[in-house]
Order: sequence, then structure tokens, then C-alpha cells
Amino acid sequence: MKSAPFSYVRPDSVQAALRVLDDHAGSARVLAGGQSLVPMLQMRLMQLDALVDINVLEGLDEVRAAGAETVLGPLVRYATIEKLALVSERLPLLQCVTRYVGDPQVRNRGTIGGSLAQADPTGEIPLACLALDATIVAASLSGTRQIAIDDFLVSSYTTALEPEEMITEIRFPLAPHHFAFLERNRKHNDFAVINVAVVGRRSNDDRWSDLRIVLGGVSDRAVLAAESAASLEGTTLEEDAIAEAAQLALDVIDPPSDIRGSAEYRRHLVPIYVRRALRKLRDDHQHAYVA
Amino acid sequence: MHLADFLRHELGLTGTHIGCEQGVCGNCTVLVNGQAVKSCLMFAPQADGQGVTTVESLGGEEELHPLQQAFKDAHALQCGYCTPGFLMAAVAIAAEGRKPSREELREELSGVICRCTGYENILTAVASYLDKREEVEALGG
Repeated sequence: MKSAPFSYVRPDSVQAALRVLDDHAGSARVLAGGQSLVPMLQMRLMQLDALVDINVLEGLDEVRAAGAETVLGPLVRYATIEKLALVSERLPLLQCVTRYVGDPQVRNRGTIGGSLAQADPTGEIPLACLALDATIVAASLSGTRQIAIDDFLVSSYTTALEPEEMITEIRFPLAPHHFAFLERNRKHNDFAVINVAVVGRRSNDDRWSDLRIVLGGVSDRAVLAAESAASLEGTTLEEDAIAEAAQLALDVIDPPSDIRGSAEYRRHLVPIYVRRALRKLRDDHQHAYVA
Repeated sequence: MHLADFLRHELGLTGTHIGCEQGVCGNCTVLVNGQAVKSCLMFAPQADGQGVTTVESLGGEEELHPLQQAFKDAHALQCGYCTPGFLMAAVAIAAEGRKPSREELREELSGVICRCTGYENILTAVASYLDKREEVEALGG
């Protein structure tokens, strides 16, 4: 189907883009990669007065080291995240999950900013950003503000962004060295039924700290299993500890029933995938992803 | 107007096909600045100043491009509706100069859906094209 009519605007600066967003008071959206937004327009799940194309704006697609932090612009494409050495070194979890997003054509155009703004409850990028405790910088005509990822993700396809705001940076603190990521799909390249990311630091005597366990597809947004992770602090991720943590993860979920699976099925999968992810974290000594 | 419609209706380049208009089938795949992109998900003005390559660039009835010949030889098309999408996705892979394994190729081509062939002959066609291309390049062709 074709989209409903809209005005296409291509401003020549971030400020000009913000003015358009402000003028349209909620009926304009930023067009970045368009890999989520345009299908919604074309299926008429959304109708807009204006699309603000930011693809030509300079400086929004940078990846830079800022001391211990790593900063990505909103226009950084998945394909760039997949290949950039700086991301391999500093944010390997982000690089790992990107391979599960869409397909090669989607990854050539889709962006980290767009993925966060879309806030798909199964989205790999929001999941990884939550695991990595990212901060989103949002700009409007009134200035900029920093939004912690846990505050940024509100609900299904809903973020804390005001209609007149756009994402200008995604800031990542120093990432824990070890991670594991697993995803279950019904078919290849499909949206996840469930995904899980775990990060942590391993000491010289194999004790774990700074663990974060994040689940996607089992609530209306990616969720942090905080108590589950806390129960593992200082352990060697031995089987008993993992089993207990897996059960605790059930406390933070509120899974939907949808075309990809029932709530019961997702509830069944959660402890299984948490156990598998923690074992992978413990036993893998490389940052290679599992297909 | 999205880019696929622009190519077809404004430029008369009907080689690019529209299968879903939702970005899931990949039949509309073209190259933008050498990268494989779903043309139904780009709007025509976004192509302003960009290089767009369509299946028409691969030659025609008079003389098939070696990639098209490879598809013919491997019986990699039946109805042919998805074929332009696969051809352009394959051109993008070839342009990177890599030679993926068959399993990697399956991943690389996973953005185009085929209802007729079951994909195996498409993989064979693309793999054989990449092989031959390597030989031709090695001979200085």
C-alpha cells in the first residue's frame, strides 16, 4: 500500500530540523534509515503531516572515543556498527547484536537512533543499549537533555522523547569485558520471540561482578532483571547460582501473547534462555556470537 | 512517491519489482551508492545526488551479463519476479570483493524472498558467478 500524503522536508541543519519538528507539534517525525518508519507509513499504521529527512546532515554519523565513553551519532548505520574496529574494541555486544537486525539491505540503511526511537519491544539495539547502560542525548529548540536508557524506553514503540525532540547522541560508558547474547526467532531474520543479553566482569579467580541481565520480547520493552543479576554477584556462575538467577528473572517479565508465541511460551523460555546465556558468559572465552 | 515507483513510473525502468511495499520481500532491491537497499523504503527525493544502480545496468536480451547467465545456467529463476532483487544483492556482494561460503552467501542474500525456487539454485548461481569472476580477475580480465 502507499503511504498517506505528507510533506517531505530536508533541512540543512539540526536546528532547522528541530524547528520543523516544533512547528508540526507531534505530526512530524524524523526520517533516518526509514526501515521501521516507512513500512509503518506504507501500511498506514501511521500518518504524518511531515517527514524530516536528516540523512544529509553532517556530523550525525560519527563514532568516537571520548575518554572511557564511546559516543555514537544517531545516523550511525547498522552496517557501520557491524564493521567498525572501534566498536569491536569498545562495544562488542553492540556489534554482536547488530548481526541479528533485519537483513543486509536493512542494515545498510537502518540506524541506531532510529532503532532506539522505534523502541520495538523485541529490538536488539534497545536491548544492547540497556545492557550497556547507555545515555541518550535529545535535543530540541530549548536545548539538550540526557536521558538514561532505562528512562528512555517507556513502553511498546514509546519512548521518553517529546515530539519536538530528536536524538543527537548515544553515549556508552566503559563496557564490561564479557558478554553473551542469544535470540530465538521462529524464522530467519524475523523479530525475536525472546532475546537476552548478559554482561559482566570476571576477576582473576573467576568471580563475577557488575552483572547485568536484560530480556527482550517478554514485556512491553526490554527489561533489566536486576535481582537476578544481583544474586550472582561474587559467584563463579556455578549451576545452582545460575538456576536461582534464572527463576528470579521471571519476576520482571510481563510477556505478550502474539502471532509469534503465547505468553505461556515466552514465560517457559525465559529461565531457559537466561541459564543458557549465563553459561555462555561463563564458558566462552571469545566474543563470538552464537547463531 | 517511493524510489521503486519513481524508477518504474517516472523513468520507465520496470526491471525493479514491487512485491510487498513493506520492506520485507526485498524484490525491490537496487544499489544506492553501491549498497543494496530496498527501494520501496526510500523516497524519490532521497535519491537526489546519489548514484542509483538498477537491474537494467546488467545488460539485456542481446547479451546477458555473466551473473544473469549464471542464473540461467543454474535454473535460478522460475517466475522471475524476485530475480532483479537477487541480481542486485549479488552485484553488491561481488563488488565487495569477498567470496563468502555458501552458508555466508545464504545470510548475505537473506534480504530477498523467493516463492518459486527454494533458493538452492540461486545460491549456486551466485556462487558460480563469484568463482568465475575470481578466475577472470586472476587472469587479469
